[in-house]
Amino acid sequence: MQTFFQTLTTGLSDGAIYGSLALALVLIYKATEVINFAQGEMAMFTTYIAWALMGHGSTFEWWAFFATLGIAFLGGAALQQTVIRPLERASVLTAVMATIALLVILNGLAAWIWSPQLQFFPSPFPTSSWVIGGVHISKQDVGTFGVVMACVLVLWLFFRFTKLGLAMRAGALNPNAARLMGVRTSLLLALGWGFAAALGAVSGMMVAPTVFLTPNMMQAVLIYAFAAAILGGLESPVGAIAGGLALGVLLNMLGQYVHPVTSELQLPVALGILLAVLLIKPAGLFGRVVVRRV
Amino acid sequence: MTRRLRNPVAFGVLIVAVVVAPFVFSNYRTYQLAFVGLYLVALLGLDILTGFTGQISLGHGAFMGIGAYTTTILVVDHGVRDLWTIPLGGLVAGVIGLAFGIPATRFAGPYLALATFAIPLAFIGLLKRFPHFTGGNVGKNLPQLHAEFGWHTSPSIWFYVVCWVVALVMLPLAFFIVRGRFGRAMRSVRDSEIAATANGISTAGVKTLAFGISAFYCGVAGALYGIGITYVNPDTFPIDLSILLLVGIVLGGAGSLYGMVFGALFVEFIRISWGPSLLDLFSKVHHIDTHAPGSGLVVYGVVLLVVLYAAPSGAAGLAHFSFGSRTRIIRSRHPPGPPAKGENA
Amino acid sequence: MRKTFLLVVAALAVAAAVGATAGARPAATPGVTAKSILLEGTYPLSGPASGYAPIPVGMGAYFSYINNKGGVNGRKINWKYEDDGYNPANTVQITHKFVEQDHAFALVGGLGTEPQLAVRQYLNDNKVPQLFVATGATTFDRDYAQYPWTIGWQPDYEAEGAIYGKYIVANMPGAKIGVLYQNDDYGHDYLRGFKAGLRSHQSQIVTAQAYDLSATTPPAVQMAKIKASGADTLVLFAPPTPTIQAYVIGTKLGYKPANVITNSVSATDPFLTIAEKSGSNIVEGTISVNYLLDPSNPIYNKQPGMKTYRAIMAKYAPKANANDPLNLYGVAKAWNVVQLLKAAGKNLTRAGLMAQARKMNYSTGKKNANPFALPGVVTFTHNNFQYPISQVTVVKYVNHVFQPQGKLLAGRGALR
Repeated sequence: MQTFFQTLTTGLSDGAIYGSLALALVLIYKATEVINFAQGEMAMFTTYIAWALMGHGSTFEWWAFFATLGIAFLGGAALQQTVIRPLERASVLTAVMATIALLVILNGLAAWIWSPQLQFFPSPFPTSSWVIGGVHISKQDVGTFGVVMACVLVLWLFFRFTKLGLAMRAGALNPNAARLMGVRTSLLLALGWGFAAALGAVSGMMVAPTVFLTPNMMQAVLIYAFAAAILGGLESPVGAIAGGLALGVLLNMLGQYVHPVTSELQLPVALGILLAVLLIKPAGLFGRVVVRRV
Repeated sequence: MTRRLRNPVAFGVLIVAVVVAPFVFSNYRTYQLAFVGLYLVALLGLDILTGFTGQISLGHGAFMGIGAYTTTILVVDHGVRDLWTIPLGGLVAGVIGLAFGIPATRFAGPYLALATFAIPLAFIGLLKRFPHFTGGNVGKNLPQLHAEFGWHTSPSIWFYVVCWVVALVMLPLAFFIVRGRFGRAMRSVRDSEIAATANGISTAGVKTLAFGISAFYCGVAGALYGIGITYVNPDTFPIDLSILLLVGIVLGGAGSLYGMVFGALFVEFIRISWGPSLLDLFSKVHHIDTHAPGSGLVVYGVVLLVVLYAAPSGAAGLAHFSFGSRTRIIRSRHPPGPPAKGENA
Repeated sequence: MRKTFLLVVAALAVAAAVGATAGARPAATPGVTAKSILLEGTYPLSGPASGYAPIPVGMGAYFSYINNKGGVNGRKINWKYEDDGYNPANTVQITHKFVEQDHAFALVGGLGTEPQLAVRQYLNDNKVPQLFVATGATTFDRDYAQYPWTIGWQPDYEAEGAIYGKYIVANMPGAKIGVLYQNDDYGHDYLRGFKAGLRSHQSQIVTAQAYDLSATTPPAVQMAKIKASGADTLVLFAPPTPTIQAYVIGTKLGYKPANVITNSVSATDPFLTIAEKSGSNIVEGTISVNYLLDPSNPIYNKQPGMKTYRAIMAKYAPKANANDPLNLYGVAKAWNVVQLLKAAGKNLTRAGLMAQARKMNYSTGKKNANPFALPGVVTFTHNNFQYPISQVTVVKYVNHVFQPQGKLLAGRGALR
């Protein structure tokens, strides 16, 4: 039972990180139908900025955390305006290629500016654990989970209760209609990218203390975020978070309890389960099934 | 439009270029151009799936891997003659692709793209799980290919000949596939699944078959790839390879078969030749360290972006012939008319 | 016609790409002129393994230093290296370019077990030296008879593993051992050597947990299993990132083994400092081995080799971080390359170079030891013994630096 709860908390904490990046993917996908491959590298790059703001030091600074969110927001919006917008009229595949180019550039740039060497990134939470009934609950895991969920909540409140949020939802739902209603969709898309980038920055800063800061630190997380996003349904923000949490727990439980699942097969087995889910629910657990009449 | 594709002049030009190249270029460049030939085969396959059937795959590097491993295991462990393993590599990859295509084609658009992302990941995992069969992480070395039929030439030139003979067989075959009845079915699935179904086309069947054909092409290319680098291990078939193939068809112009020649040139030369040369050039203007970690990636990414802006429909689109509905393979996000599928209405 | 146009464009592109390929004809010995020697190598300058990028920088700094002093036998060393991203397919193509287009005299210090395995047969077929590969995989030293043009340099992983085994038998009797190892050739070499070193004490291994390099999550599950096994001695055979992660995860799980052993690739002061900063309380007392001077450790600052090293780096690679042990690794290897080139004489040939590599004897006794290695380390190859550096010293991490413990040990002796 001890191991079970330990595995569960680690799984939830991992899952929160996958979920937040998945949510960032969903935000952009809903607005532009583009799967943003650069999402992970954007998160990595902003985490390096946070590290620079903290003076490459060993203590976590909350002001730097929030400053990074702001920089990420502006950076994301700027990328949308400069890199993605000129390709608005091109095919989706071309736009996806542009995000892949962005992935490559950001990865190279980070190595170029900050060197590819492994760096320490401080956590706002202590490494110690609470021991409850023999179960070690890591404070870092709980803190990570809390921060990610808080950010998601803030984002939800924004979309649910502000006028801008409403406009953005309208723009995502039907760009043409929204444009006709006088909504400046191009600006909204930039905002969407901004929010996604900020959310990615959260996942980057939360995962860096465990995987350490390197230009490649987000590539694995991005793969899990993809999986989480399709598991939950690419159209569904709630699904992204739920998918992330489910995947985090699933991966940890597989590794802990299923003996034939050696470490090489952990990923394939998890992906196999994912595909099985998709076969039953082709639009993900929370996705709307598009009804097609012939 | 497709009738125009069967342009004997273009095919003639290609053959002449292929025949002349080894006499003009050095041994090493010929070796690189051989890779262009095998990438052409892989891109043709992916283009049949993505460009002509409208299904995006992020996993076809794995089918190249399956082809390469089939060749390697047959040659090294079973003593099969290397040339014979090339079609076998294609067949094994094709069958696996077909099997994967059956469930995969139930997924729509981005779900398929992300589901195919799982193929290389699973492939790498399986390679490591069964090291007795695959050689695990250490991989396997293949013997160098040597000229046959009593011909004495360097291994690089012989490899070039093999690659391009295969490519020049696979190219007309691709034309044959996309021109025929099946080709029409593929394009109608691409342009409107609803209309295709209304016309009595089994969309799932067409997509599955297209998946199998593309996997076959990539398997053949992979067999050549294994023979060319004389080594296979899991690192040789990273996810980057699958993405590079997709980059190749986009830059070549998805939906154009001849455009793939250009895509193949880009795939082969950008990282190994053009990138470093560009860096050298920059370093003469502006003092930068050409060996700075990551600098090569930055150049690669920037070149990719520039090409995308210059030619959003790829090299084929650049050749200013009207593309018609073909550009909409991967549906434009802001179509002039009402939304294509009506799901947002 | 569109297609014709496309093909013409394509043909022009090839012509442009290929451009001036009519390179110089190979001289009597490729890559050697009256004034220069061309040496080349492949390194990961991008991707997950790009942390090794300082190595060729250190080598370049040393070659510049030698060139500035007049070169070797009147020839300047021309050092070129390219990025293979740790993908063997790239390594192969770039290596073909080095050999067939650039006509390199020798390939030096190519990095990575798998990339170098991929080109070994090709280089041997073409009789091009594959000198001092940057990997400790045993095969590069052991299989010299099959691959006469290939030779390693650093202590091999198997030998290093054996030393840890022997160390436990001698100093930690009754230890219950839990091993975390990377599930590839690297990890398996270490584990095999480790078991050989333990000899009859192998049953003390209570658990050996493999994790996968591509399994991108930290090895949390494996560490939990090691903790649950009751092991009091943790042995880590992993590259830096997972090693540091293992330390931190262990601490999170409340696991406090009495002894920790970490392989030399990961056991550098900067990496362990990161583990400490991340909150691990089990770093202190970590045991490892070392064979080169460690620029991140102040206790070596008075060594003449360290002074030379710092002077070279300051002058020829001022932007590099001279405290990074990888730079010193590069300098130490370049020193050895220069010794071979000198010994191979004025009439430089590839065969002559390999002949020298097969009979190296650099030691303190002969006053020609590698100045950048730990005092007393010999570089020795002879007949059927082709493990250039095989001695190490055990080091213990105390107060943020690795302190040497006792005298040098012969790694290869430990296996017999």
